[in-house]
Amino acid sequence: MHIPDGYLGPYTYIAFWIIMFPIWYYAGKRLSAELKSRQVPLLALAAAFTFVIMMFNIPIPGGSTGHAVGGAIIGIVLGPWAAVIAITVALVLQAMVFGDGGITAIAANCFNMAVVIPFVAFYSYHLISNGTVITSRRRVIAAALAGWASLTIAAAVTAFEFGIQPILHHSAEGVPLYMPYSLGVTLPAMILEHAFGFSILEALITAMIFSYIQRTDPSLFYGERSLARENKRKKTAST
Amino acid sequence: MIPDWMKEVDVGPCQCSAIYHGKKGFVGKTIDGIFGFLEEAFISESNSRRCGLLQSLDPRAKLISILAVIFATSLIGNLRVLIFIYVLTLIFAYLSKIDVGFFIKRVWLFIPVFAGIIALPMIFNIFLPGDPLFQVAYLGPGAHLGPLTLPESIFITRQGLNAAVIFTMRVATCVSAVVLLFITTPQQTLFKSLRTVGVPKLYVLTLEMAYRYIFLLMDLVRELYVAKKARTIRASGMFDEQKWVGGRMGYTLIRSLDMSEKVHMAMMSRGFSGDVHIMQEFKMQNRDYIAGVAAITLSVVLVLISENIIRV
Repeated sequence: MHIPDGYLGPYTYIAFWIIMFPIWYYAGKRLSAELKSRQVPLLALAAAFTFVIMMFNIPIPGGSTGHAVGGAIIGIVLGPWAAVIAITVALVLQAMVFGDGGITAIAANCFNMAVVIPFVAFYSYHLISNGTVITSRRRVIAAALAGWASLTIAAAVTAFEFGIQPILHHSAEGVPLYMPYSLGVTLPAMILEHAFGFSILEALITAMIFSYIQRTDPSLFYGERSLARENKRKKTAST
Repeated sequence: MIPDWMKEVDVGPCQCSAIYHGKKGFVGKTIDGIFGFLEEAFISESNSRRCGLLQSLDPRAKLISILAVIFATSLIGNLRVLIFIYVLTLIFAYLSKIDVGFFIKRVWLFIPVFAGIIALPMIFNIFLPGDPLFQVAYLGPGAHLGPLTLPESIFITRQGLNAAVIFTMRVATCVSAVVLLFITTPQQTLFKSLRTVGVPKLYVLTLEMAYRYIFLLMDLVRELYVAKKARTIRASGMFDEQKWVGGRMGYTLIRSLDMSEKVHMAMMSRGFSGDVHIMQEFKMQNRDYIAGVAAITLSVVLVLISENIIRV
């Protein structure tokens, strides 16, 4: 999922920088108001966790091992706006300190993994859990489906970014200059690979982490609190 | 102040490894992965403290220069110019007292090799028509692969090969430049230098803190897996093992959020009010300005050459 430099042409990656600036700006403003001085330590630790979650190897059928992306659970637990910043920080660290993911592609990577994943996860989780009590089983299933949907959609968005490269960037002879394959190749390749592979593992892990927190300390769901605050604000505004 | 003897760094990077008997499994792989991560961080750190050319530059000048080169590389579609920039990164690695063999391996392993594999099908005339370079197979008229109609004979095309090599080389050159940046700059300095490209102070501090706590959390994960290994006689079923991993991830998440509360209280009790102040200890010298201007000029010239606006 980490797009390196040189896969996306300048039109695409510059467009993503332009898309991401207002998102980062708004997320920053919102969190400063919500978290105040707690912002730095909370986001730093959440970013560190996002980074570390990829180190956990999990046994998968066939004797092999896999690892999780973890964006969905961060989105569900912290709420999508805090997840935007926490995952962005983790992605910047990966790009600048370990060479994982490109520098020019940071904005595109952030859009795919720090915006699409937490937002899809957070909203599909809330849609499916439908206001049930925090300890209900329905919420575990909601978390699993949120994990599956968020990673699959993020993969589709990434595939779309790859697939438009031959249209946007090609030489006079029609030879592609960046990612060479069209949407007809990238979309099925990425979506099938994720929908029947990585996303299933992500769903399983998201559900397991969720049910562990549910059993241990359900007060941790910061996302719930921010949602409750928002509802309250809406209520007071309407009265 | 840190005394001088603490700033001294051993030249050789340490080798961290664990010994296994038999199959590693997911526990062994995780422990190995964490050791690999720590080793890489140590190697970066020890390289960034050597007295080479790039290490002696002001980090802000270096950041801007390397970003300019990466940006230019992403625009260049001329193979000779790409090879020129790649060789330039090797020369700078050598001048910065980095083992060039190690540097090449660090850059090429995984990302460019993977890009090469992705680009490989492009060299055949199935995906991209072009002038034949040499024939691979003759299929005869009306050949099919599932729904795909195949051409009469499969050959490698000149345009395809050229495009695939340029694609791979561009990825490799960009990775090479980024590795050069972080391998010659201590991490804390690198984060502070991000202020020059407009990253707000608040996020520079968040980055610094996140980087530090990654090591603490890594150690926590390593301990969890080592403890698991120590008390395992026979592995249980896969679902139970997966459940164990899920639980440990949840535990790590709870621990990190709990830790953030404690860190916050510790910061508050030391007078943190939410305002961030970052000590500015860099000083730009003439050579830093020269380096920055030279790198930006070179990047512009190379892009112009690649676009055939300047002919050489």
